[in-house]
Amino acid sequence: MENKKVRIALTKGRIENKAVDLLEKIGYDVSELRNKGRKLILSISGEDIEVVLAKAADVITYVEHGVCDFGIVGKDTIMEHGGKFYEIADLGFGRCRFALAVKEGADFFAGYGVKTVATKYPNVTRRHFEEMGIDVDIVKIEGSVELAPLVGLADGIVDIVETGTTLKENGLEVFHDVAPISARLIVNTVSLKLKQERILEIVDKIKENLE
Amino acid sequence: MKRYAFLTPEGTRDMLFEECAAKRDISERITKLFESYGYSEVITPGLEFYDVFSGKGRSIPQENMYKLVDGKNRLMVLRPDNTMPIARLAATRLKKEELPLKLFYNQNIFMVNPKDSGRDDEISQSGIEILGGDRGSAALEALVLAAKALAACDEDYRLEIGDSGIFAELIAGHGYDDLKVDKLRHAIDTKELPALDRLYKDHTDDDEAAFKALPRLFGGFEVFDEARKYLHGEVLEEKLNKLKKLCEKLGELIPKEKIRVDLGLVHKKDYYTGIIFRGYVEGYGQPVLSGGRYDKLLGEFGRDADAVGFAVNVEAAAKVLLKKDRARFIKFPDVLVFGEDNIAVMKHCEELIDEGKTVYRFLGECPKCAAKYAEEHGIKRVDIVDKDGKITSEEV
Repeated sequence: MENKKVRIALTKGRIENKAVDLLEKIGYDVSELRNKGRKLILSISGEDIEVVLAKAADVITYVEHGVCDFGIVGKDTIMEHGGKFYEIADLGFGRCRFALAVKEGADFFAGYGVKTVATKYPNVTRRHFEEMGIDVDIVKIEGSVELAPLVGLADGIVDIVETGTTLKENGLEVFHDVAPISARLIVNTVSLKLKQERILEIVDKIKENLE
Repeated sequence: MKRYAFLTPEGTRDMLFEECAAKRDISERITKLFESYGYSEVITPGLEFYDVFSGKGRSIPQENMYKLVDGKNRLMVLRPDNTMPIARLAATRLKKEELPLKLFYNQNIFMVNPKDSGRDDEISQSGIEILGGDRGSAALEALVLAAKALAACDEDYRLEIGDSGIFAELIAGHGYDDLKVDKLRHAIDTKELPALDRLYKDHTDDDEAAFKALPRLFGGFEVFDEARKYLHGEVLEEKLNKLKKLCEKLGELIPKEKIRVDLGLVHKKDYYTGIIFRGYVEGYGQPVLSGGRYDKLLGEFGRDADAVGFAVNVEAAAKVLLKKDRARFIKFPDVLVFGEDNIAVMKHCEELIDEGKTVYRFLGECPKCAAKYAEEHGIKRVDIVDKDGKITSEEV
């Protein structure tokens, strides 16, 4: 049981690049990860580790079902999708935040009417306003959410904010923060228990090499 | 034809052939185990009143239950849990039966899962409940049976033990509101170390240091020594000693290396009050067994008694068995029987069955088709019965 391969799922894109840097810093041979072509399953030579590339939400699904032992995924996806796994470390990169944004100078809480919030993250939004005890109408938008308040569909948006430049360019501003976000290391609950030594060894190496 | 006439609802599925055989194999072996230890079987209704599952210390989130209304407009649910109905049963129909009661069940539970999560909405469980009796002895018996049930699924199992009382004791006296307790429980349950580190960055007392340490306290028996650094006070030390003793006793009865300890186990079902345990096997991403002690649940139904129990996810165990050795569960009849005279054919079938063979009576028309069917379906022998009842046997 202990000698089986350990499989890590990485979120494609920005998190992937940072994660590969991290693996390299640990001392793993990441050449196959750098020159991956179209391959989706990659190996680290000289190690019992296999790397899988997937979209953020799929990383959670693979880890939850135990077909991957580890996952590296943003807290935003974890908050939106949930799931049963251990969230064992904050990797520090991919740092940004969920925030409620409104048109510049607007007071989101003004008046008695039920407010409308546009978002790509309906679960995060619902939970946030539930915790505040406020009724809101939530509209799910797939593309640029910033448009919704500008054309009058919504009073505000809940979205990921990094620098706030996109908001500013569209005449919006942060009304209040909802939650901080960064990349997280997640582990399947059964893997951690069945391959404890190997998994913790990797976790320690990762933690030692965080910036 | 309507669209949904062709589909099974999300989270459910038809099980076919070897899947059924594997499921029956595991549930029969577990049932035999429970019976050999003198447990009595109960069956509770698949439909229950909502109120059974919604009380002070036994709430299943309402969004996780399949609900419907009966003819009198009362709220009903598809049974979302097996322990609560058995607690109800023990406090009502079995009220006059003396404790301890040792019960077992083989029945399904239903729950609403998030859409597209790939999780099962219908889960077959085989489990036991020990109601009453000496606490230590009952817990040890439940753990031994849990280990044996896991071994029926995979010899290379792990049985993990914790104590939800540790979290309860740490939380007591802090005056945290429910929201904070839920958040803390969630963070410890999911070993969300970053959240705990943030929450207790500058911890001011022992308990806060302990909250941070809890999710990290798992592994072999060495965990108990490590835990002493963080868990202080008479109550916690006593809990720790008791748990250690229980694990050591268990170690005399099952291989020690199968026993794992996780002091960060804080079961979401808040009816658990003491030890909790989970069983893991390779090849399934979630625990295949879970259980624990629930001393207050029966009291909620008006009959105060300690209790402990567990349930095995039978379908998960069957999946693991199938993955290991699918061929074992694929079954072929021994003999295909074919002929024109119905009576002669059926009589021959009966004779073969009496000899202990399994038969497949071919219903088609031509002998060639019969031979072809046998070949395609792994049947090794074809018996052709002619009009006079004469039998020609051919090996395929």
